Amino acid sequence: MQTTSLNVLLVDDQPERMQTLHDALHASGHTVVSQLTGVHGLSEHVQQCKPDIVIIDMDSPDRDTLESMAAMSRDAPRPIVFFAEQEQDAITIGEAIRAGVSTYIADGLQPDRVRPIIETAIAHFHHYQQLRSELDATRDQLASRKVTEKAKGLLMKHHKCSEEQAFKTLRKLAMDRGQKLTDVASEVIRMFEANAHRGDDRR
Amino acid sequence: MSVASAEKTDLTLGFIALTDCAPLAVAREQGFFDQAGLNVSLVKEASWGNIRDKVSYGLLDGAQMLAPMPLAATLGLGTRAVAMVTGLVLSYNGLAVTLSRTLFDQLDLDPGKVQTPDQIGQLLRRYCQHNHKHGGAKPRLATVYPYSCHFYQLHQWLLAQQIVPGEDIELVALPPTRMLSTLKAGEIDGYCVGEPWNSLAEQQQLGRIIVSGHQIAPNAIEKVFGVTQQWASEHPVTHQRLLSALSQACQWLDNPDNQPELQQLLLHPDYLGPQAPAKNLQPHQPVLHKFWHQQNVPHPASAIELLEQMRARGQWQGVNLSEVAEAVYRPELTPR
Repeated sequence: MQTTSLNVLLVDDQPERMQTLHDALHASGHTVVSQLTGVHGLSEHVQQCKPDIVIIDMDSPDRDTLESMAAMSRDAPRPIVFFAEQEQDAITIGEAIRAGVSTYIADGLQPDRVRPIIETAIAHFHHYQQLRSELDATRDQLASRKVTEKAKGLLMKHHKCSEEQAFKTLRKLAMDRGQKLTDVASEVIRMFEANAHRGDDRR
Repeated sequence: MSVASAEKTDLTLGFIALTDCAPLAVAREQGFFDQAGLNVSLVKEASWGNIRDKVSYGLLDGAQMLAPMPLAATLGLGTRAVAMVTGLVLSYNGLAVTLSRTLFDQLDLDPGKVQTPDQIGQLLRRYCQHNHKHGGAKPRLATVYPYSCHFYQLHQWLLAQQIVPGEDIELVALPPTRMLSTLKAGEIDGYCVGEPWNSLAEQQQLGRIIVSGHQIAPNAIEKVFGVTQQWASEHPVTHQRLLSALSQACQWLDNPDNQPELQQLLLHPDYLGPQAPAKNLQPHQPVLHKFWHQQNVPHPASAIELLEQMRARGQWQGVNLSEVAEAVYRPELTPR
C-alpha cells in the first residue's frame, strides 16, 4: 500500500542487524536508508533524506545529535521529535529502551503509522540480544571447558595420575570449597604456573 | 545517625565518560558506596539521551546528569515529561570553547601578548564580519546536547562578543567522541564541550582553548546527581546514603593531594581510558572546575538561571520558574 509507505532512516553499528531490519521494513513497503554509526555527518544525512522516522541504536553516541536537531528544529527543513510525547506510547518506548533502540519521528506524523515500524524494530533488536546472549553463553562454556582441560593436564603431568583421577581431584576441591569447577581449575593453573616461575628463578 | 535500613542496596547508576564523572568513579573506587552499605554498578552510557531515558524508565536507579537535564525532563522538553529531582551537585564548571588551530591562526593575534578571552572574542567577531563581507563560509562550532551548560554558555559568550549564533556562526551537533576527528578533518572550526575534549585538542595540537566556563559563568553548576521523583519518594533511605557517599567523594576530590590518584583512576578503561589527557599538560587557557563548593547544595536560584537560559534559547515558554525550580532542585536532600 503506497499510502502507508514511510521514509525510514536506520542508524546502527551492527551491520547484520541493520540489514535484516532494513529488509523487513522494505518488505512492508517502506523506503529505507541505512547508515552505520561512526560515519560522521548524521545531521546532514537527516537533512538530505528527510526521513519520516529515524530508528537509532542506543549504543550510538549520535543519539544526542538527533536530540539537538529536535531542539533546534526551527532551523531544520523537517523537524523531528522524540517519539513518546503521548502517554499511550510510553509502554512501547519502555520496551524499545529495554531492547536498546530509540526512535525519532517527523513532527506531526500520526503515531499509529509509526507504531508498527517501531514494533518491528523492537522485535529485531530483541532477537539480536537473544542471539548475543546465547553466543556469550556458548563462548563462556567453551572457555570454561578449555580451562578445566588445562588444569587436568597439569595435574596429570605433575601428579602422574590418570585423567579420571585428575578430574576427581578438581571436583572434590570444588565441592569442598563450594566453588565452581572453572574457578578451581583456574586457581590450579595459577598455582602450577607460580611454582614453575619460582623454579625458573632458582635456576 | 539514622539506622533505618535501605530500601534497595543493589543499584545501577549511569554516567558519561567525561572528566567530571569523577565523583561516581571515586565513590565506587574509594569504597564510599560500600561503606554506605550499597552495592553500586556504574554503567558508561553512550549519550545523554540514554541517561535521561534509562532513568525515566527505571533501567537506571540514578545518574550523573547535565545540570539542566532534570529540569528539561520534568518539563517534558524533547521527551515525555517525567518528574525528576536532584539533591546534590556533582561539579561546577569544567567546560571550555576550543577553536581549531587553523581558525585560531587566522585571527591575527599578537603572538607576543597574552590575550584575554574577550580580546580573542573581538578578533573572532572581526573575522566573522570580514568573512561575511567576502562571502566566505561561516565558521562552524559544535556542541553536544541542547539542554546543557555548554550550549547555554557558548551562546552567552558569543552574544557577549556580539557574535550571533546562526547568523555569524553556524552551530552543529556532534557527540564528544567525534569532536577531535571532525576538528582534525576541518569539518568544524571549534566546539564547546566538557573536559577532557578541550585539553585533548591542545595536547594533540589540533586546537586552542580560548575561554573556559569559569570565565563565562563562575561557579555555574555543571553536573548533578539526578533520580526520578518517584524513585526518590520510594527509596528515601537509599537516596540519602547515595548522596552521602557522593558528597564524600566530592570532598575527597577537593583535596589536591588526591589529584595523582584521580588521574590514575580516570585512565582505567571503565572510565575515560586512553581519552584521559596527559598529566603534565599545561593548556594555554586552563579549564578550571570544582567538585566541592558550599556543600554542593542545588539551590533553586541556580535552577531558575537555567530555566531563564531555556527561555532565552526558545526551548521553553513557561512562566512558573520558581515552582519548577523548587520541585526539581532540592536543597533539603543535600547531606550536611
